[in-house]
Amino acid sequence: MKHVKPINDKARLVEKAAEDGKTAEVQPMQTVAGCATTFDPGWETDPFGGVASLCQPMEADLYGCADPCWWPAQVPDTINTYPDWNSEAPSAQRDWRKLQIVFPKK
Amino acid sequence: MSRISRRGKALLGLAALTAATFSAASPAAAKEFILTSVKPNTLVLVDPAARKVARTYKIASPGPVMGIVPSPDGKVAYVVTNHWGSLIGIDLDTGKEVFHTDFSAQPDMSAPAMRVINTFGLEISPDGKELFVMQSPVKLGKAEYQVQDTRIAVYDTRSGLAAEPVRLLPVPRRTTHLLFSEDGTKLYCLSWDLYTLDPKDGKVLQVTKLLHWDRQNYAEPDIFGVWGQYEQAHVFINPYFTTRTDLDPKDPASAKTGMLTLDLKTGAVKLADFEDTSVVIFSSVVNPVRRNESYSVYSTLTKTDLATDKLVKRVALPHTYYTVNVSGDGKEIYVGGTMNDIGIYSTDSLKRIGEVKMPGGNDQAITWVRMVHR
Repeated sequence: MKHVKPINDKARLVEKAAEDGKTAEVQPMQTVAGCATTFDPGWETDPFGGVASLCQPMEADLYGCADPCWWPAQVPDTINTYPDWNSEAPSAQRDWRKLQIVFPKK
Repeated sequence: MSRISRRGKALLGLAALTAATFSAASPAAAKEFILTSVKPNTLVLVDPAARKVARTYKIASPGPVMGIVPSPDGKVAYVVTNHWGSLIGIDLDTGKEVFHTDFSAQPDMSAPAMRVINTFGLEISPDGKELFVMQSPVKLGKAEYQVQDTRIAVYDTRSGLAAEPVRLLPVPRRTTHLLFSEDGTKLYCLSWDLYTLDPKDGKVLQVTKLLHWDRQNYAEPDIFGVWGQYEQAHVFINPYFTTRTDLDPKDPASAKTGMLTLDLKTGAVKLADFEDTSVVIFSSVVNPVRRNESYSVYSTLTKTDLATDKLVKRVALPHTYYTVNVSGDGKEIYVGGTMNDIGIYSTDSLKRIGEVKMPGGNDQAITWVRMVHR
């Protein structure tokens, strides 16, 4: 935290956590532990830098990742905010046209 | 060969000696079924010998099924569903719900709201009396969420349709697997390291280093273990991935895939590399008869020899599967999860010898594939 200065309460909490040595609670997987590592953007690249080791076909992996919230930034959060996102599309390969983008509820 | 592997080999030999004991303990007269699920929130009982679905059970709750443990007598299936929010028991004879708990339910409505979800870890005691559920609670404030300590909630299986935990056990964050020792005296918790707990009070009996191993010139291993499928051989097995720190990262030999095994009878733990990493593997299972053989899946089906730590054979699968299980006679491999079929393969040749399509052609997604005798 030498080069970053906190400017609000949440950032100060992050700084305090770092000082208390709590940052090690979260650690990125470093090698191969999934079709794409946890911090990768999604289904674009596999651990080898290609695409051959992504799930085949991509639809095989869609609900396996969406249902447990594995990719919360790439697909709607079906644990907390959009539990019914894929309820009308029980087969990703057959029903993918029914899957819609979502917007924050007002 | 590393020190860990040599020690592990000796323990594996001990495990092989006890194979006959396991076989004798299994209910030989009972018929074997595959227990899995399909969207929308439907439990599926498959007769693998007939190559067809024997029965389906619609679960009266939002789905999908995220984890399955059968009772030891094969009569009840306990499933985590409701978006990781509930545990429901279904009587496999009557199809009726016989157990239900909502993890976030609060008897005291004046207390701050809590959102409690299970993540993967789910186990039943060998006597069938208690369920162990990994839980992550979050306190929901008006302006902030407060992450609470992770825990194992223990439920009495006789609690009926409004079950509440009979006790809460502290457990390290990041725990994914809960596994009982065969004699029911130890609960193994797979986290960054392997914690052995006393299931009565949660006391830590032993910590076996995994991520914090001390292998010289090896990086910390990644272990992604979320599917429960160890009931046939009573051995938990999971792939791990690591890198050699003394080699050029561009050297293919710098990336290693290995197998972590935990013998649920002896408690023996083994970590041994078997190849330079060349494919992704999600989950594995041990053959209950030829106990040196393991089978692993993702987009390929891999046979590994646990006695020699060698890759034996690898074949391509028609699509990716997350999970794998094996028949009690050690002759057939069942691959499942992701899409809409259970693929059946020969343990000898790894040839596809059958398949069972899921009802409606719907996805299995992240569900488990369990074997039950009934």
